[in-house]
Amino acid sequence: MLSPDLQPDVLVVGGGPAGVAAAVELVGMGLSVLLAEQRDRLGGAIHRAYIGVGPSPIKRNAHHQRDWQALLDRVSQAGDRLTLQLQSVFLGVEGDGCYLLDDRVAGRVRPVRPRAVVMAVGGVERVLPIPGWELPGVTTVGGLQVQLKETGEAPRGPILVAGSGPLPLALAAQLAAAGKPPLALLERGTPFGTALAQPGAAFNSLRSWPPLAEALGYARQLLRSGVPYRTGCRVTAIEAMALGLRVTTVNGRGQTQVYEVAQLALHDGLDANQTGLPRQDAPGLPVVWAGDCREVLGAAAAVQDGRQAARKVAKVLGQPCPDASFNGPLHSARRLQAALRTLYHAPAPVPPPETVVCRCEGLRASGFAALQGAASPHEIRVVGRFAMGACQGRFCARAAQALAAQAGVAFEPQDLHGSVPRWPLRPVSVAALAAYSPE
Amino acid sequence: MNSTFNWLGTAVPFQRGESLAVALRRAEVDDLGSASGGLRGRYFCGIGACQACLVSVNGAAPVEACLTPARAGVQVTLAAPPACEVHRVVA
Repeated sequence: MLSPDLQPDVLVVGGGPAGVAAAVELVGMGLSVLLAEQRDRLGGAIHRAYIGVGPSPIKRNAHHQRDWQALLDRVSQAGDRLTLQLQSVFLGVEGDGCYLLDDRVAGRVRPVRPRAVVMAVGGVERVLPIPGWELPGVTTVGGLQVQLKETGEAPRGPILVAGSGPLPLALAAQLAAAGKPPLALLERGTPFGTALAQPGAAFNSLRSWPPLAEALGYARQLLRSGVPYRTGCRVTAIEAMALGLRVTTVNGRGQTQVYEVAQLALHDGLDANQTGLPRQDAPGLPVVWAGDCREVLGAAAAVQDGRQAARKVAKVLGQPCPDASFNGPLHSARRLQAALRTLYHAPAPVPPPETVVCRCEGLRASGFAALQGAASPHEIRVVGRFAMGACQGRFCARAAQALAAQAGVAFEPQDLHGSVPRWPLRPVSVAALAAYSPE
Repeated sequence: MNSTFNWLGTAVPFQRGESLAVALRRAEVDDLGSASGGLRGRYFCGIGACQACLVSVNGAAPVEACLTPARAGVQVTLAAPPACEVHRVVA
């Protein structure tokens, strides 16, 4: 027999705002919940916990902080209907609805047999391949940001932030506020020019006050710290030096500029992290996706989406729950995200042949030339090995899709994964698997 | 920061509660060594998605350095290349 903890009414995977909101809401409805989180503390990427004592020295969005503190208060009041399973990674699902968690504290794989599941595993950053983006010292903007949040210290050495969208702006401002302004913030898009050309998008991006106030705060910080915000400007090459990185950039007028830095943070948008998730429409155990893994709408909407997911689950399980509608906040978040996508839109540059596309196995753009006969995402995967590495295509599927489109083969990035999820999703030790028993 | 773990013979200090990855980065260890595909092991996404910072703690199976809390006295090395490297089909 499994222990009662491993047979909860609901398994929630992911301890960010969506997962925690879903979990406390379900507990409030009288259901038992096992909440699995891969880190040793709740928070996800957005609320990555500061390891120091007292409040974090890193500037954070006050609105999001209040939401999060309210959720943590509910976690501490949840009682024994809520079980936290920290440092535990979702690996996959056994054929008969048995969810496998790699409990890295106990060193064993634990089988969980819930009545329903909420997947709330967040988003994943999109980064366009550039020559040298695979070098040590190059991180995603989110990667540098969680380091900053976790340690409360700015990373060492000169920093350059580049790519596209609101997240690089947030990171640049947080670095500046921490006393470490980046050399520059390079934006591929031309949001100001686009705003003039598309006033509708500009208007929609300004309609919600909290995100607007946040953006104004970041802009003020960058101005005060003298961080240049260069739009229409992108990185064309990154080279390793004896110490640090040499980053070549080009602006809209074709002028190049070279930066010598210790850290380069790149970001070209956010995608829902859906690789390997059990499907919502599959027969059997009910599965509901929540938060950025369902649709990238940001932290505030993720809380609402988590609450909505809890209601969907309660309905399926026949548990009474108060009626509530989340359409309003989700709709306005969707409108904002669409407006931002329009304002920051910039065509993706074609990677030169030597560019690494697959960051796991070192496959290059030139590898596509050898795949000229490949007529389907299946062949590109099986013959070319794109999306077959350890990250399962999270960071190359989009680029592989773009390269294939140039060769006249059209498909969606997720088609590269094939129709069957490849479980386990993460590395797991043979000893932990051996310690697993389904009963 | 009194506690340390061992990275290839070097003592790396860390603060309680932080991951192996950020302690290594503070110690200027960005390059984690030779990894699959002729690339280098390195910190990239910080959320366990990219699998570029797989390390081994006390010789155990690979774990993401960005997810694994640092512990005093452990031996940390770059994880062995995955089996796919051994069976790599060269086009």
